[in-house]
Parts: sequence; structure tokens; C-alpha cells
Amino acid sequence: MKKSSIAGIIIIAIAICVIISTYSDSSTYGSFTDAKESKSELHVVGHLDKQKELFYNPKQDANYFSFYMKDNKGLECKVVFTGTKPQDFEKSEQIVLTGKMVGTEFHASKILMKCPSKYTKDKIEVNEVKTSKL
Amino acid sequence: MDIQFVGEHLLPGKLGQFFIILSFGSALLATISYYFATINKNRGKVLESESWQKIARTAFMLNLVAIIGIGSCLFYIIYNHLFEYHYAWAHSSKTLPVYFIISCFWEGQEGSFWLWTFWQGILGFVIFRKAKSWESSVMTTIMFSQTFLASMLIGIEVFGTRIGSSPFILLRTAIDGPIFSRPDYLSLIQDGNGLNPLLQNYWMVIHPPTLFLGFASMIVPFAYATAGLWEKRYKEWIKPALPWALFAAMVLGTGIIMGSFWAYEALNFGGFWAWDPVENASIIPWLTLIAAVHVIIAYKNSGHSYFTATFLVMISFILVLYASFLTRSGILGETSVHAFTDLGMFWHLVIFVLTFLSLSVWLLVSRWKELPITKKDEETYSREFWLFIGALVLTVACVQIIATTSIPVFNAIFGTKLAPPANIIQHYNKWQVPFAVVIAFISAFSQFLKYKKTDVKKFYISISVSLVVALIIAGIIGYITKVYGNAMYMILTYASVFSILANAKILGEAFKGKWKLAGSAIAHIGFALILVGALVAAATHKTVSINNTGTDFGDEFAKANNPKENIILYKDEPVKMDRYTVTYMGDSVKGVNTYYRVNYKVIDEKSGSIKENFDLYPHAQQNVKMQQIIASPDTRHYLFHDIYTHVSSVPLKEEDHMGAEGHSDDKTYEKPVIHEINIGDTIRFREGFMVIKGVNKDAKIQNIPIKNGDMAIGLQVEVNQNGKKYTAEPIYLLKGGVKYDFGKTIDEAGLKLRFTNIYPAKNKLELTVYQKPKAEKTWIVMKAIEFPYINLFWGGTIIMVIGFLLSIFRRNKELKTA
Repeated sequence: MKKSSIAGIIIIAIAICVIISTYSDSSTYGSFTDAKESKSELHVVGHLDKQKELFYNPKQDANYFSFYMKDNKGLECKVVFTGTKPQDFEKSEQIVLTGKMVGTEFHASKILMKCPSKYTKDKIEVNEVKTSKL
Repeated sequence: MDIQFVGEHLLPGKLGQFFIILSFGSALLATISYYFATINKNRGKVLESESWQKIARTAFMLNLVAIIGIGSCLFYIIYNHLFEYHYAWAHSSKTLPVYFIISCFWEGQEGSFWLWTFWQGILGFVIFRKAKSWESSVMTTIMFSQTFLASMLIGIEVFGTRIGSSPFILLRTAIDGPIFSRPDYLSLIQDGNGLNPLLQNYWMVIHPPTLFLGFASMIVPFAYATAGLWEKRYKEWIKPALPWALFAAMVLGTGIIMGSFWAYEALNFGGFWAWDPVENASIIPWLTLIAAVHVIIAYKNSGHSYFTATFLVMISFILVLYASFLTRSGILGETSVHAFTDLGMFWHLVIFVLTFLSLSVWLLVSRWKELPITKKDEETYSREFWLFIGALVLTVACVQIIATTSIPVFNAIFGTKLAPPANIIQHYNKWQVPFAVVIAFISAFSQFLKYKKTDVKKFYISISVSLVVALIIAGIIGYITKVYGNAMYMILTYASVFSILANAKILGEAFKGKWKLAGSAIAHIGFALILVGALVAAATHKTVSINNTGTDFGDEFAKANNPKENIILYKDEPVKMDRYTVTYMGDSVKGVNTYYRVNYKVIDEKSGSIKENFDLYPHAQQNVKMQQIIASPDTRHYLFHDIYTHVSSVPLKEEDHMGAEGHSDDKTYEKPVIHEINIGDTIRFREGFMVIKGVNKDAKIQNIPIKNGDMAIGLQVEVNQNGKKYTAEPIYLLKGGVKYDFGKTIDEAGLKLRFTNIYPAKNKLELTVYQKPKAEKTWIVMKAIEFPYINLFWGGTIIMVIGFLLSIFRRNKELKTA
């Protein structure tokens, strides 16, 4: 057998290992219930409960931000994030959290939000300014 | 529609739409004509081939004109703020400076498709002029791709499905709204949505064109490979394709790093590479193309690795298409913040990828038996063998990135619900660092191997010196940059230093006259520097704004080992942060941005002298209406490190509401304090004191005549506040038996004084003091990161590009002399 063929086979074997390990490394999307059962970090998708308080007071602690999120199954949980309040957080339509449960709170290490950003949403801002046309 | 709309400019849109149809039609015609020109040429029918070629050339020129026409119409619309067009309304605004209007072009998908098709047209023009016998067959593939790109812009409904998305759609067609039933709706739309503030950066003017030139030029080597297989010119296509492959690798590489520089300069995620799916999508084809370039060279010199070279060239272009599918189909929705949202082109993009994929597979399979694959075995000590191995390692590195980036695709196909790894950066580094080590080693020692066969002893002698010296230098670097804690990082440092030394030796020989070698040596040195720079900056960057002063939120929170990376600064109050003393000096507004001036000082503890002193101006766009800020960092660049700072939270400016002066004005003061006083008394207040100087028995009040029996008395008060003196005379009026008083405000001191009563019995006067609440201290919350040795990363890029340029010149020259 040619040496390059052997090298090729070895490389393909490594590639398969890489792919398998990638998928074993992958995390899962879950709910807060799953998070309570699991000890490892996972992703929770849900939306912000806008009725409850968003707490961020930099004068007290510039790295403490808490809010309440409802996961896709409707369960609500307090979420704590070590950092500042992300920009435009109140307007988020969907939130993807990465983190784990600590006691009764979900500690997020990453927050990814989907916003109806003014750059994608087709909402026309109408200015009722009458231009005096004659 | 019966409504006659007022003020719309429909001509540029109609013209633009005409050009789109023209570009599609002409690209299709050129594809077909070039196809028949090639077929007839290969059958020996010269005359027929020539007439087909004539048609094809005309169609191609027409296509180029149409593409430029589309661009001009779109530019006209954006430049003149014709908001009746959805594209202009969605991506630009009147306040944008002209040079950012160019960026509006590629903020939307349609514009970036145009950019791609434009570059592909320009490259087609070069092929058309220079390719000679390759013209027909190579142009068939390029025009086929042009046809696809043009179809992305059509935006016409066929059998109920809309094909593509046109940039010339009118706002009233794109969006439903009650205002569109008014003929004068345009007069109500004052301005467009504007360009995303993050894209308002000069790097965003040049990064997308460079990146798209890179993507577009990937088709040229692909088209040559396709043509080579199609026309059975198996060995010939390699030579003209090589300079093009080098060109594509250089431009795409530059484009990727420009994007990384933009992220570093304008985004606040704090770094130059985040393994975001969109970033990955651009680096995937680059890696396979780099691998392709190396095996092409191996094949040219030894006849080995023919299939690998062809395969990698073809897969690189298919991966470009796959990358555009990833970023444009909306499939990355949950994993990336940067990707475009779906414009209804999901299946269109899938067809684009699959068409070219099946074309390549079919060509390779049908020509398999005729491919010039050598049966000979390579020598272990030969350059071609290690070029091949290096290419394979690059491919595996690429497979790893594809695998993780494609998790959403995997989910879509198999209906699973996998999420990307929780710590994405760690996940990638775990794999990519070892791959980088192997590649750096191979790029070093294979420079000392000869094609075919190498004298083993000589080989070991020549690399051993570099190996030993590299060990020492890597040790020193590891010590200085403090990466020695991590074994894998040390090995990568060692491998990269070894690569730099080995290639520097080759470069030394180049200076002695072997100029041919200079290009690859320089490119490899640049690449190794990028590796060291990226490693050191990424591994040892340090958040300097660590702040553990926050109030305790319970044990559970305190125990969390997340470092607290944001620090609050009050105006004019210096805070010690790492070795810096930072002070927030105030803000200033320029255009839409608020600039926060942050002063950094390094004070020598012993002597107290200031060693460094500079100001940084991280800025933020405050959008009062949206109640949000969009922050951009500011960075102090030193030769060996950068100080990077961005604000993460600032007080939102309130909309200016000029409080109605008058009756409710007492509300802006704190609860008043009532003093019973006499002349000569001193009253203390928060920031000073006031002295009652005397009374003025005939005080006059404007517009109020003082009659007999009325009494108007002024109280002369001298206010001392923080060393400043003010005088005021509040007035007490008794008119017709009714008491009135006329207070006096001292705005500068934030005081209001009222002479509210007279108690003759007690021989006392009553003074009511109103004081404004203490002005709230302004503050910012910011984050600062120190990036050491990041200049190695940027510098390495420049060196690598120079190396590529030299190689392109060399290979181009070979083409002419051959």
C-alpha cells in the first residue's frame, strides 16, 4: 500500500474521531426543569418576563444583573448574570441562556438574545410632520 | 392600484429591475453559448465553436454592463435617499456621511450578492482577455455561477414562489401599512432606518469588498479544474490555476483578518476572533484552499497528489457556497448574532450548493479512470509527501470547524436538538491548537526537504540547529509572555518559532540569489507570526477592570467563580485598576455618539511620578427613543501591548423636557427648611451659609403698585456657597390685608429663598429655604482588557500577504516563460 494512502486512512480516522467528539462535546437545549436535574452547563431557550423586575444597579454592584425568564415550557426562574445588563435587553423576543442552576437561581455565563432590531424589523416610523406644501 | 402616489421616483427602480433581468438573461445566454463553444471546439468544429464564442462574448459584455447598471441604480437610490425603495429606507438615512453610504450597499443581502456578482464579472473579464485556449471552458463555469447569483436578485414570483430578492422593491410593496393608502405617504416618511451603528466604521467600507473579492476569486481555480476534467486537459489546468489560487488565498485571508480587525476595533466582545459561525464560514474555504495550493505545488514538482489537488480546489469553492448558505439562509439563527435573516432563499441557496457539488462529483467520478494518478509510492523524506500530509492536516482542522459550525444544519436535517458546546472558545482551541502545532512543524522542516529524495543526514543536520535555537527562543518567549503555564501553548510557541527560524534560513538563501524561494519563506514566517501573536494575545489577555467591590448578593452569588469584569467609575474620582489609575473625566457629544473621556495614569509608587498618562475615548450611541446604547471601544496601541476599553453601561440620557416654569417649580427642590431669624443671623445650609444683612422697607415689585396701608419688605440675604457670594432679596407683601411673598431663586447655587412671614410679637422674621437635591454623580461602567503582543498578529498578516504577492509574481512568470 502507498504511504500516502495509509496517511490518508489515518487522517480520515482522526477526522471521524473529531466529528464524534464534536457531537459529544455539544450541549443540549433544555428547560429549567432539565437544568435542575443536570449538573453540567446547558442552553435554555425562553423569553423575558416583562412583568417582573429587571435588576441592575451599577452603584451597588456593576457585575450583577438579574431578571426572570420563562422557558419554552412556561416555567419561570430567576436568572443571574455576572456582568452588565445587555443593551436593549427589555426588547428581546427570545433569549438563549448558557449556564446552570445554582440553588434556585439559574446562573448564566452567556446570554444571546434575539431582538426585533430596528434594522431588521419592518416597522415604519411615521413622523406626523406636515410639510407645508402649497 | 388606483392610487396616484405623490413624489415617487420610479425610473431608477424600473431601470434597475431591467438590468437585473438583463444580467440574468445574458449570464444564461453566455453560459449556454460558452458551453456549445467548448463542445464544438473539442469535436473539432472550429467554425461553429467560433460563432458560439462570438455570441458568448457579446452576452458576457452585456452581463457586465447590466451588473454595473444594477450597481449604479442602487447607488443612485441610496445616495439620493429615495425612501420609496425598501432597500434605501431599511439601510440608510439622511444623516449618514457619503463614505458610509457605500457601506449601506452591503448591509443587506441583496447588496452583498451584487458585490459578489460584480467581482465575479470583473474576474471574468480578466479571464476573457487572458485565458486564450481556456476561455470557453473556464467561462462556462463562471457564467453558470453568474446566472445563479443573478437569479438571487430577481425577486419575481414564478408559480407562486418568489425567486430571489430584488433590491429595487418599493417600500409600499414590501410592507403593509395603513399609511400606504395615502397618496402622499412619502411626505410622512422623513428618514430611513439608517445603517447599523456597528457598521459605521471605516473598516466596514473596505472589509466586505475585500472578503467578497476573495470569495469571488475562488471560482477561478474551480473553473480551471472543472474545465481541465471536462476537456480532459488533466495536467494542463494546474499551471494557470495556481496563481489564481494564490490570489484567492491572499485576498480572502486579508479580508478575514480585516474583519477580525474591525471586530477588535469596533465591536465590544473584547477580542479579535470569537469562533462565531459567521467567522468560521469565511475561514473554512480559506483553509482548504491553502491546502489545495500546497498540493498543487507538490503535484507540479513531483506528479504526486493529483486527485487531492483537484479535490481540494473543487471543495474550496463548494465550501464558499456552503458558507453563503450558512450565513444567508437564517439557519444559524440560534447560534450567531451576526448572520443574516432568511429572505426566503433557503432552498434557492441549497440548490446553488448542490448543483455545483453534484457537478464536481459527477466530473470526478466520470473521469476517475483517466486521472493521472501515480501508482508510485512517495519517499518519506521528500517534500511532496509532507506537503500532502500538511494539506491533510489542514483539511482535518477544517473538518472540525465545519462539524461544530454545522450543528444547526445537522439539527435541521436529522430533526435533533443539539446545542453548540457550552464553552465554544475552549472547544475550538482544544482542537485547533494541536492542529496548528503540526502545521507549524511541517511548514518548517519540509522547507529543507527536496522533491523526490532527500539526503537524510544532511536534512537532520540542517534542521537540528534551528530546532535547538528555537527551543531557547521559545523558552525566552514563553517566559516573557507568561504562557509557560500551559504545555500545549508552549509546544505551539516552540513550533512557530521553529517555523520562523527555518523559513528565515530559506529567506537568507533567497537573498543570496535564490529569489524564487522568497515568497513561500516570507508567507510562512508571516503565518507563524500570526500563530504566535494569536496564541499570546488570546491566552494571556487580561481583564484589568476586575472589580470585587460590589455589594454582596448572598453566598451563592459570591461563590460563583465568574470574575467580575466591569468596574464603575464616578466622575472625577480616580480608581486604582491593576497598575493603572483611571479617572472618568466627563463626556462630550459629537454627532450621534457620546464620547466618554477616561484618563489612564501609571504612577510610580516610590517616586510618585507619572510614568504614563493618556486618555481613551470609548464611545456609545445613545438612542433615547429605544432606550439603548451601542458601545464601541477605544484602544491605546503600544508596540508590545494594547489597552482596550469599552463602556458596558452608562446612565441613559433623558429626553430634554423643559419643565414648565412656575407653579410646580417647588417640586424640583427638597423639602423646605423654615428658619426664624433676625437681622445679623447666619443660617447654615448644605454647601455653605447665608447672612441676613438687613431689611429693605420700601421694596418695589414690578407691576404691583404699593398703596397706603400696604407693606412690601425685602430681606437682604448674602449667600456664601463654596467660596462664592450671591445676594438675594426675597420680598414679603401685605396688600389689602392679604399676605403674599415673592421668592428669589439663585440658580447657580440651587437655592430658592422665600420671605414667608413676620412675627411682630416674637420680633422674628421667617425665611424659608429651598434647596435643590444634590446633583447625582455621573458614572460609567466600563471594562478594560490588556492585549499583549497583538501586533505580532497584525504584523504577521502583513508579512504573509507580502509572501503571497511574491509567490503570485513567481508563478505568473513561470506561466509566461513556460
